[in-house]
Amino acid sequence: MPLKREAGWYKEAIIYQIHVRTFFDSNADGIGDFQGLAQKLDYVQELGVNAIWLMPFFPSPLRDDGYDISDYRSVHPNYGNLEDFKTFLSGAHDRGIRVIIEMVANHTSDQHPWFQESRSSQDNPKRDWYVWSDTDTKYRGTRIIFLDTEMSNWAWDPISKSYYWHRFFSHQPDLNYDNPAVREEMWKVMTFWLELGVDGFRLDAVPYLIEREGTSCENLPETHEVVRELRKKVDDQFPGAMLLAEANQWPADLRPYFGNGDEFHMAFHFPLMPRMFMGLRLEDRKPITEILQQTPEIPASCQWCLFLRNHDELTLEMVTDIERDYMYDIYASNKSMRLNLGIRRRLAPLLDNDRRRIELMNGMLMSLPGTPIIYYGDEIGMGDNIYLGDRNGVRTPMQWNGGWNGGFSAADPESLYSPPILNPVYGYQAVNVLSQKRTEHSLLSWMKHILRIRRSSPVFGSGSIEFLYPANHRVLAYIRQLGKETILVVNNLSSAAQAVELDLRPYKGNILIEMFGRNIFPRIGDLPYLLTMGPYQFYWFRLRRI
Amino acid sequence: MAEETLLTDDFLRQLINVGEVDILVGLPTHNNAKTIEPVIQAIQAGILKCFPRERAVIINADGGSQDGTPELVVGASIDDVKKDDPRDELRKGSKVYALRTLHSISTQYARSPEPGTALRTILAAADLLRARACVVVSPDSTAIEPDWLQRLVRPVYNDNFDLVSPIYRRQKFEGVLMRNLLYPMTRAIYGYGIREPYASEFAISGRLATDFLSKEIWSDEWGRIGPEICLTVTAITGKYRVCQSFLGTKTQPHRSASDLVATMRRTVGALFVSLDSNFPLWSTITGSQPVPALGTQSEVVPEPVRVNRKRLQEMFATGIAELEPVFRSILSAPTLAELQKIATLEFSEFNYPADVWAKTVFEFAASYHNSVISRDHIVQALVPLYRGRTLSFLLENRDASGEDIEKNVESLCGEFERLKPYLLEVWADRK
Repeated sequence: MPLKREAGWYKEAIIYQIHVRTFFDSNADGIGDFQGLAQKLDYVQELGVNAIWLMPFFPSPLRDDGYDISDYRSVHPNYGNLEDFKTFLSGAHDRGIRVIIEMVANHTSDQHPWFQESRSSQDNPKRDWYVWSDTDTKYRGTRIIFLDTEMSNWAWDPISKSYYWHRFFSHQPDLNYDNPAVREEMWKVMTFWLELGVDGFRLDAVPYLIEREGTSCENLPETHEVVRELRKKVDDQFPGAMLLAEANQWPADLRPYFGNGDEFHMAFHFPLMPRMFMGLRLEDRKPITEILQQTPEIPASCQWCLFLRNHDELTLEMVTDIERDYMYDIYASNKSMRLNLGIRRRLAPLLDNDRRRIELMNGMLMSLPGTPIIYYGDEIGMGDNIYLGDRNGVRTPMQWNGGWNGGFSAADPESLYSPPILNPVYGYQAVNVLSQKRTEHSLLSWMKHILRIRRSSPVFGSGSIEFLYPANHRVLAYIRQLGKETILVVNNLSSAAQAVELDLRPYKGNILIEMFGRNIFPRIGDLPYLLTMGPYQFYWFRLRRI
Repeated sequence: MAEETLLTDDFLRQLINVGEVDILVGLPTHNNAKTIEPVIQAIQAGILKCFPRERAVIINADGGSQDGTPELVVGASIDDVKKDDPRDELRKGSKVYALRTLHSISTQYARSPEPGTALRTILAAADLLRARACVVVSPDSTAIEPDWLQRLVRPVYNDNFDLVSPIYRRQKFEGVLMRNLLYPMTRAIYGYGIREPYASEFAISGRLATDFLSKEIWSDEWGRIGPEICLTVTAITGKYRVCQSFLGTKTQPHRSASDLVATMRRTVGALFVSLDSNFPLWSTITGSQPVPALGTQSEVVPEPVRVNRKRLQEMFATGIAELEPVFRSILSAPTLAELQKIATLEFSEFNYPADVWAKTVFEFAASYHNSVISRDHIVQALVPLYRGRTLSFLLENRDASGEDIEKNVESLCGEFERLKPYLLEVWADRK
């Protein structure tokens, strides 16, 4: 049964990001599939998340891990079929888990029938579904995103003897959103999935939908028109469905994507994530508070999406050169850890497998304003494999137990879509769900605990934030408030114990209740509130006036 | 009764907030509002440009300023409370951007300035904050450039030196006291060729800072009036790794005649005091060894310096005449006779030879050691003689190039080293 799409559900969501291929293989062919995913829904539910974001599962030549779609209305045979998807969707909804799927709207695979038709002749009805040109000199002010692989945003098509526009790989031609037929067709695609019951879409590469001469071809007003048109249709026909923007931009440049509450419901806060890592290693809250100070207010119905790691590299596009150099030196000293303008590593290895740091980073993820996303495997501290190409090193099989293929698949190990992590530190024999389930103090158990606490209060999802600025810059402290509920969050970013004095006079008379242990702390008075904190320790306090 | 504490509770609270640092920059001040801003800006730029990743703090030890100096220092903090867009700095093209918080804090250690207490406060902070490198900068070094910071810090940070002493680019007639007394005498006494043994800018390692802080010198006259030379001597005698670093132009603030007496007290007096406790060490040293100098010295552009030379001669001659009873208790008869003879020379023939000058200084040091009269009077009595030596230096180098002056200074150092046995002789005799 589809879940009722209540307005604003996404503000209270905790999202778990999964690639079907990586999660569980039900038919022993070495590749994860929807039947396998459906079998693991109890695990997802027990973890405590209430939404799943699926990476692309559509038919595709898989030259960009599914972001090169050749059929928008079906399931890649590797992962099962449409019935399998429906079964999975139904199982998720039965457990109160919503499902967000990818909508790679900017481009298709060059193997998509639309492109094959478009390139077949200049007179083909689908010719204008893509962006063609006789020269490769148009839109010269447009940057190249994949600098490591692409020389130009134009590629020569020997069949139609003209150039086609692509912002990403040359095998991913951009759709022409100036063409109403394209917009209409993409809406039909979305309608198809919404009618099946999906709860929302993550729209990939949103800023690049429209091209105009003399511009950067990013974030154009015409792109916003396309989004508004789409949003209106969603609201009119599928109220409660959610649109999430993937736009790797500065917060101020992202703000227009929320419009007046009439464009996207949510957008990723890309610049915050690297600054959380930076603040941790600098032992200084400045990078974090600065970027959040620059983050504009968004309409009440909208929400930021926060994450620590995902399926891509840890992007360093939205940092200064000094910051990027620092991040590379600190987090990617081995050059093979770097890709494009980023770092292709998982959370645990980035944090030197330091449990205290992993907890602190997750603590911030769960308490800063926004909807948190957990990347599959990070809840158990999975490692990565930097010797696999592209971003495949962070897309290795989920580690379920210490047995055959880590419990991911019964296939021959050689036939797996990717080798599992095998080393003694992060390998499946050391890091897996089964063993962590059996230990009360495992990372997995701790993650379940913090998610439970996060879900216990709507303040985290919908409350306001006010930073305290204690003189000790190693401590990041803020007040989250919603209605009569107030929560104080204090994070020690330092590897050493710290003393911090907080000015809590506006809350004089309240007592503090520590939310993890439910212990009572002294009442707030006129004097600065003194806390001593262990290395990387954080506190969540509920304020109560008794 | 509780023991008196050096650091106030408020300062301690500020230090707790700063936490462990890599680099600590100390600024001893007293009513320096007129000059402090460019100094602070250069320090800030030096940290952001050369040490953007290091944890740094600027610590102001103030001796009771009434002109708002501490407020100017504290205003240099870079933190997240000022809600500026950090990218603005980059857009403005300043090319410096603070990756992390830069604290700038201040404490008032007394109502009147006292160099020893100021340095002790800075070192105590460096010790508590476990600074790897501690740099001290003079608040009136208006010619300071951001690069000075790295020239002082890098040898400590990268090459494990414990004391980095500066070498300044000076105009030919600046630094006369340093060239004619402090450098030659320190070099002859302690056997190390440190050009600025009494520097207002220097860097030290955390371990030297901690060691020096624990010395029992802070309540002594030596520690109170001349902690810098005390530090140099501690580094030399403690076998710490010492080097020098070329900084740049050092401009001297204008000083009145009364300033010279105070300066002599702080520098020469402190040097003389240091001889007392270190006799077993320095008495066995002969000759000197060079101290490595890092970086490159740029060419000095001579500028005309206006000095009233006739007035110098008058002050020298008047001093010789008026202070004769004092000199009789300080100087040997032959030396005094030499000086009296020099005092009668025509201006065009005036010459205070290097050997006579070295003997004069050594006899003063021995008299100071034996306190033949009040030590303060001994230092004051040296002032007119120093003026005579200054005149001689100016005349001797009137047309000399920078290189020639260096040769002459080197020759003077040789004279001090050659006559060091004479110091040992008079040292014992003056009892």
